[in-house]
Amino acid sequence: MATRRGFLAGLLASGLPLPTWADAGSPTHLAAGKLGEAYALHGLTATGDSLFSIPLPARGHAAAAHPTRPVAVAFARRPGTFGLVIDCVDGRVTHRITPPDGRQFNGHGAFSADAETLYTSEVVAETSEGRIGLWRSSDYARIGEWASGGIGPHDMKRLGDGSLIVANGGIVTDPTDRTKLNLATMRPNLTQLSPDGAVLAQVDLPELLQNSIRHLALTATGVAFAMQWEGDPADPVPLLGLWTPGQTPILCPAPDADAYAMQGYAGSIAVDAATGDIAITSPKGGIVMRFAASGAHLATWRRADVCGMAATGAGFIASDGAGALWAVEDDGLQPLARHATLWDNHIVRI
Amino acid sequence: MLRTLALTLILATPAQADVPGTLSQIGQDYAGFAAAATTLADAAAQTCDAAALQPAFNAAFDAWMAVAHLRLGPVEQDGRALAIAFWPDPKALGAKAQRWLLTGDPAMLEPETFAQQSVAARGLMGLERLLYPAEAPPADPCPLIRATADNLARMAAEVARDWPAFAQVIATAGQPGNSVYLTEAEGKQALFTQLATGIEALAEGRIGRPLGTFDKPRPERAEARASSRSLRNIGLSVAALRDMALALDANIPITTAAFDRAARLVAALDDPKLAGIAEPQGWLKVEILQQSVRAARDAVVAELAPALGVGLGFNAQDGD
Repeated sequence: MATRRGFLAGLLASGLPLPTWADAGSPTHLAAGKLGEAYALHGLTATGDSLFSIPLPARGHAAAAHPTRPVAVAFARRPGTFGLVIDCVDGRVTHRITPPDGRQFNGHGAFSADAETLYTSEVVAETSEGRIGLWRSSDYARIGEWASGGIGPHDMKRLGDGSLIVANGGIVTDPTDRTKLNLATMRPNLTQLSPDGAVLAQVDLPELLQNSIRHLALTATGVAFAMQWEGDPADPVPLLGLWTPGQTPILCPAPDADAYAMQGYAGSIAVDAATGDIAITSPKGGIVMRFAASGAHLATWRRADVCGMAATGAGFIASDGAGALWAVEDDGLQPLARHATLWDNHIVRI
Repeated sequence: MLRTLALTLILATPAQADVPGTLSQIGQDYAGFAAAATTLADAAAQTCDAAALQPAFNAAFDAWMAVAHLRLGPVEQDGRALAIAFWPDPKALGAKAQRWLLTGDPAMLEPETFAQQSVAARGLMGLERLLYPAEAPPADPCPLIRATADNLARMAAEVARDWPAFAQVIATAGQPGNSVYLTEAEGKQALFTQLATGIEALAEGRIGRPLGTFDKPRPERAEARASSRSLRNIGLSVAALRDMALALDANIPITTAAFDRAARLVAALDDPKLAGIAEPQGWLKVEILQQSVRAARDAVVAELAPALGVGLGFNAQDGD
């Protein structure tokens, strides 16, 4: 009888290599989107072509790409009830992961360095206390959880040393409708967790407690972090910061003339490893801002509803809610492609 | 028969969005603002007497209100929109920067240098503090009045000069070589977004900031209180937004009715500085006005957006 186990055993015995991302057409990026009333996860090339489109049962947010195998875990937007482990060669959903009772996914995840563990950002639904869910990637069984070190964890990134940096956004939300419940007392932080889940370092921004730290990108020494301001919109606050664990965070304000352009909201962030340049987006302001590795502002460009942003290895790719994909070049945005799919918040690099 | 058929077809075709007409109207309004700002700068070159300059100041502010809701194209370059009318300014950045300019090196007031000064210090709100001073300035304000009026006229002239080229980019949306607006709809979308966000800024900013909450009204936050323009600016903003909606599509009865109701509520208020917000009765009146502006926003989304074939941004409305 041809069973999956038998097939796999045969595969191993035959010495055939396991599938890689090349078997999925070698997409470089993943992005969720909406076409009509249907939601899907796309595999994209750095030049803006869609190689595959896999249906999602509801609106997606971000995804975690397996480092070597053509496997993506697509997460529902928060309060998330599902994560789908997708075989990107044939579009098969191989596993469905569901948060344990009383937990909700928060839209982001990451694989461990050895790819044996999937981490998911989660909250205790009633209190928004943060958790990092641990899942064994061979069968996606729940194998444990850690405290995230704060309230409302959102994005997380794994450093080269195997530690994990978590953006605890600080916002307590109603478990059913996303209503924000603690804006007057919120206290977001960045937490570095060891490969065993112990808190190695933690910082917050005492002068900007209403600046929710939500999205992260790896830099040479730590993370660049993007924030969303919950205070008075008339206060121009930095929406980008840099953190090297063990040091004080550096805030990177936009210049005077552009201080309100993002409308207090950074939606995505990416770092170009070659130059160290950082790009952040604001769909509310229709803005892409580029910063140097030092945090110095380089440029402000405009594009309505732009949100997704990822490094390509030779700059950045951006996406917007009208379906366009853009190359972020030194002198501005150049259109790569326009799809019928409206792109959701994030592009994830494989 | 043929004529009847042709007429039927015309009647059956939904009204075309008048993008060229809207762009042209905006250009005329920018030209009007530039002319009014030049008149103000010319007057300031003759005298620094506040009372003598106030009429030209108010005329320039009136002209700005016709385009104050627009945040695209040349007005976005170099922070011009911010510099022309920096509000709200809860930390009084403008007044602080002006004290520095009043008492500092006069070279800071040279046109090229002054154009680099803080957006908070310049423009109409900067002039308002100088022409309607709450207290005696720490030094002769005349050089700063002239520098500010001159800078305002320059910015207004630059925006009016650069608008037609930018309007052409919107007008050619979706055509080959247009790498800003990739489809025809994106050009309409850009204009609709200006309208929708302009209405939101009116409801949540000009009206919402002084309104505060019933338990904590904030009349001191009203825009342009020193020149008693708070309510006038709201009325001019309602009119400008109504005109823009009608320029895009004349057949929008629900939207027109919503704006007309807001305009009637403004006319009935008779409270130039919105001081009445401090009292429960006055607060409720302004809250009803805010609701009417929000209703106009709902109306353009429900009525005008489908007519234009556009919507609100997928991500902009609902981030995470």
